[in-house]
This record gives sequence, C-alpha cells and structure tokens, in this order.
Amino acid sequence: MIHVGAVAGKNTRSVTEPNMNTANKKTPYEHLKEKWLDRHKNLQEKLRAKHKESLEWVTKNLAPKQLAVGSLGSLLLLTSPGIPVLPSAHLLPATQEVSNTISKNAFVVTDLSHILPNEVRPLTSDEEEKVVQVLSRDFGFTLAAELEGKRLNRSYGFIGQEQHLARYPGDTIATHFDPPAGGDAQKYASEGMAPGLGAWGYFAQSKEQFTEKDKMRETYYIAVQTFLAPGFLDHVKEYGDFFKYRKMLVVNPNNGNAIVAVIGDAGPGESTGKHLGGSPEVMRHLERVDGSFKGPVLYFFIDDPHDTIPLGPVQLQ
Amino acid sequence: MKKPIRKTQGKHFYSHIVDTSSISLSLGDMALSQVERIHLVSLVESQLHHTVLDAVLSELSEEDKKIFLKHVALSAHDKVWELLYKKVENIEEKIQKAGEALKKQLHDDMKGVHKKTKTIS
Repeated sequence: MIHVGAVAGKNTRSVTEPNMNTANKKTPYEHLKEKWLDRHKNLQEKLRAKHKESLEWVTKNLAPKQLAVGSLGSLLLLTSPGIPVLPSAHLLPATQEVSNTISKNAFVVTDLSHILPNEVRPLTSDEEEKVVQVLSRDFGFTLAAELEGKRLNRSYGFIGQEQHLARYPGDTIATHFDPPAGGDAQKYASEGMAPGLGAWGYFAQSKEQFTEKDKMRETYYIAVQTFLAPGFLDHVKEYGDFFKYRKMLVVNPNNGNAIVAVIGDAGPGESTGKHLGGSPEVMRHLERVDGSFKGPVLYFFIDDPHDTIPLGPVQLQ
Repeated sequence: MKKPIRKTQGKHFYSHIVDTSSISLSLGDMALSQVERIHLVSLVESQLHHTVLDAVLSELSEEDKKIFLKHVALSAHDKVWELLYKKVENIEEKIQKAGEALKKQLHDDMKGVHKKTKTIS
C-alpha cells in the first residue's frame, strides 16, 4: 500500500511554478489524473452494481460511532459517490517548494512500513527479501542478508549505544579527536572510551601505522552478535575473518536515515535486550538512543568486493 | 489444515499482500508538485481498494458479504481473515492477482507520461 505520506519525489517543482508544457500538451499530472479518475469511477460503479444489496445493508446497519477511525475512509469509499479530489491550493502555502519541505526519506519510510512487522523480531526470509529490494533500489547498493553463505542471527533489531574504541596502543579520549577540543570532540567525547578493545583488537598496531581508513572504521563501526550467527561456533576463525570490518548498511526505518558502517566489534550480550550497537557517530546520524527509548534498525551486508563504497552517512539515490 | 491468520500491520486488511511501493517510487521520479502527487497517490489507493473489495466480494455469498463488509468497516482485520480463510479457497492469491493486474495498468499509464529530466528544487 502507499499512502498520502508517500509524497516525496526525486524531481519536483513548486506548486506555483509555471507549467513548461504548451497549452495543447497535457502535463504528467493531467494525463494521469484523467486516466485514473475515469478508472476510479468505473471501478466504483462496477462495485455498486455487483454488490448493491450488501453495500446498502452495511450503510444502513452500521452507526457512524461503531466505525473504527482508520476504517472511515474505507467505508466512505464504499458508500459515497465522492472521488478523491485535488486538495485546495489555499490549504498549502502559496510558495511552497515541494522538494525542500518534504524529505526524500518519506518514500523509504513508507515503503518499509508496509513490510516490517509491528513488533521488533527477526524478519522472515520473505520480509528480508522485500526489505533488501526496497533498500537496494533506494540506496543503490547491492545488499544481502546472507553473503558467501554466512548471515547474522537477525537483520532487524534494537540498537544500543557503544563507546569509542581505542584505535591504536595509547589512543585515549584526549587523542581520539582532531582537533582534541571543539568540533567532533564536543559532540562525541562525552560517550567515553570502551574499557576493552574491539573484537579484532586495535585498528592499527601503532599510531604511525594508523591510517585514514582505520579512523573511518572506528568512527563508523557497529557491534553485532557475531557469536549468535548460524554456524559461528563450528567455524569461529572463518566466521571471524568474514565479519571483521564487513560493510553493512544500517537504516533507521522510522526516519529513513542510513549509514554505511563496518562490523568493528562483537556484541551486545543476549541479556541486554539489544541486538546490535552503534558508535556514537552512527547513533547520532541514525537518531537512535539507548535505554528506554531505544529503537530498531535494519542492517544488511553490502556486497562491495572492490571496497569502493565509502563509510558514513548515505543519501537516497 | 487450518491456515494461520497472517499478521496485518497495514491500514487495510490486504496491505501485506499488495505492495505498491514500486508505484510510489515511479511517481517520485515524475515532475509533480506536492499537491498533484498527493492527489495521484489517493487515486491509486482508492482504485486498489475498490479492486480488492470487488475481488473479495465476488467470492462471497450475500450473507457473507455483509459480515465481511462489517469487519472491514470496523477494521477488524483478524476477523476479516478468519472469515476469508473459511469461505474462500486461495483468497490471498486471488487478492494478489487482482492487485497485480491493477498495478500493471497503473505502471503502463505512467510509462506513457513524459518524465522530467531536470531536477528543479
């Protein structure tokens, strides 16, 4: 299903923008409106003609108060001859610039809302397939719940807040940000450093060997429950190598915010009620928080064999 | 064997069967104002609603039609599915087929429309 919330477009123009088509040429809107109004009218007439008795019965026998709020539209569609009409122009600001006021993310949020279950649980393979289709199409990546025969225990779960990881021996909160004060330090230093190292140790063996790539990996890392992956315990080394710095797309299905991250740690424990963790930078971009207001994210492997996809926030295509 | 009643998290009882995200994405590629897009989206939704209702009602007796419509009007999705599984063979496939046929028509309609190539925002 799609709904009125699904109105963000890739190419949009202002309501008041002059039509560039000539007077004799129909705009895309006029073309579709004419066709779809005709078809709508035909469908409505056909429905009334075929099922007149039962439609009249439900109209007479159901008091308006009995109707669930969400069903009013359904009943009105059944019982009224009305056809959805163009909203009055005066209901909208006269100079509204469509694409500036409505986020493109509305589309991905709407699409996902029709696939995801109400509760946060592991997705079925059918649901995973549909989500992968939507995200691959919208973000332009090749995504998969399973890659090289390996998958995580789930692809939809609650994300919790992780701390910064030591990137090389001697890395502390004082050396973690450049510059050490202001900027990112001001935003992210308060989360502190994790007391231990990530699952794969330091990102670089020394400060001298530390590269921009290492820096990005720690900045945009997630911790996933590698130890719960099917088959992990039988092939610990093989699975560990596979998961190490594996790129994943992480998406907040409630706002469409997405980020390319790497698996930089293993966790959280099963008892926490959370299913993965995000670095302070990942969490901020996704607009997710820990604790009682924790929320779910989707996370899928990115098939990027040549390592061409940069880490960090991504926009819809 | 009794079929499990599928979880219906959408706003209509068939929301989990007919996925129209491809239509919303195609509309997103077109040069439409916000008001125009909202109107077209509402037209798609109402066409689909009528199509699905017709597909279902055509499979039911007069008495069952009334029960079904009552459940729909009250948004009692579980009861809708309980009734449909009991009364109609392969109802999900039938709804899906009707929805897919409409979607094909809608996509064909959109194919004929000139797509704007330059972004203005």
